[in-house]
Amino acid sequence: MKIVTILIQIIFIHVFLLLAIGIKSLFSIPLPASMIGLVLLFLALYFKIIKLEWVEQGANWLMAELLLFFIPSAVGIVNYNEIASWQGVEVILIIGVSTFIVMSLTAVIADGFEKLKRVDSQ
Amino acid sequence: MIFLFVTVVTYVLYRFTKALNNKVSFPVFHPLLFTPTLLIGLIALFRIPANDYLEGAKVLTHMLGPATIAFAIPIYKNLDLLKKYSAIIAVSITAGSLIAVFTSFGLSLLLHLDRSFLVSVLPRSITTPIAMEVSREIGGLPTLTTVFVIITGIVGGMIGPSVIKKFAIQSPVAKGLALGMSAHGVGTNKAMEYGEQATTFSTLAMILAASITLVWGKFLIPSLVGLIA
Repeated sequence: MKIVTILIQIIFIHVFLLLAIGIKSLFSIPLPASMIGLVLLFLALYFKIIKLEWVEQGANWLMAELLLFFIPSAVGIVNYNEIASWQGVEVILIIGVSTFIVMSLTAVIADGFEKLKRVDSQ
Repeated sequence: MIFLFVTVVTYVLYRFTKALNNKVSFPVFHPLLFTPTLLIGLIALFRIPANDYLEGAKVLTHMLGPATIAFAIPIYKNLDLLKKYSAIIAVSITAGSLIAVFTSFGLSLLLHLDRSFLVSVLPRSITTPIAMEVSREIGGLPTLTTVFVIITGIVGGMIGPSVIKKFAIQSPVAKGLALGMSAHGVGTNKAMEYGEQATTFSTLAMILAASITLVWGKFLIPSLVGLIA
């Protein structure tokens, strides 16, 4: 029964996607429809237009299996011959180093800031 | 028919990789690295053109939309926390997004990357649709940017736990912000392993990083690109 609930809720979440696509084309907002949809779903929950139980199980499944939806794009990398070159190796190295720096500095900044605030409020 | 076949095969291989990854936690078995590798091997073996596979897998890619929308739920559930930590969020994401652009730019200059690669790599740390938008704006190749975004996600998902351990990051706020900032949706998916708070902050970091990079794409990145002429 759980699968049916999840499926129905995923279909229901599509209502927000369709609304977002409509709003995007009406007002030509430079954000992807999925992000506009996220804001719409948030507002619908916040103003109690819909109940959390109506979407929660479907949403949890979608979030938990997110990587599955990225897999085709990752397979699509084979379409870029440029990657299989010395330049491709370099760019992967650059991305690796840069991602490491961004992740560690963001973590250290947020962690440090939080500790500072905690000391302040004591 | 092909759509059903492709979807089922991808799903089964994904499940298999996830189970394997849970048993032997080894970076190579990350679902976003190992499953695509298996699939690329399979389509090469059966001489299926990659575009036929991608066409068949459209339903899966489509689900990225509803999956992104789903992240409204952790935000809604933890609204009080977000208000409480708004200053930390603003500072970390402003810093993180600038560091992402500047390190990508600096390292690319250092290694004398071709112009099209250099420009396309600049918006790589944010979620695909917005990264493509920024890429187009600054004169990059949006499809190449997509590839760099995916590589960022794979790397981020793989190194995330070690970075958190190495810098002894305890707070779920910092864990979430770092993962969502540096590795968009894939980082946010990783953040789920650290609980709902980390997921919330990661989601917000992902959204804000994308929005603020949209701004950098209008005002800051064009002048950087102008420097290399």
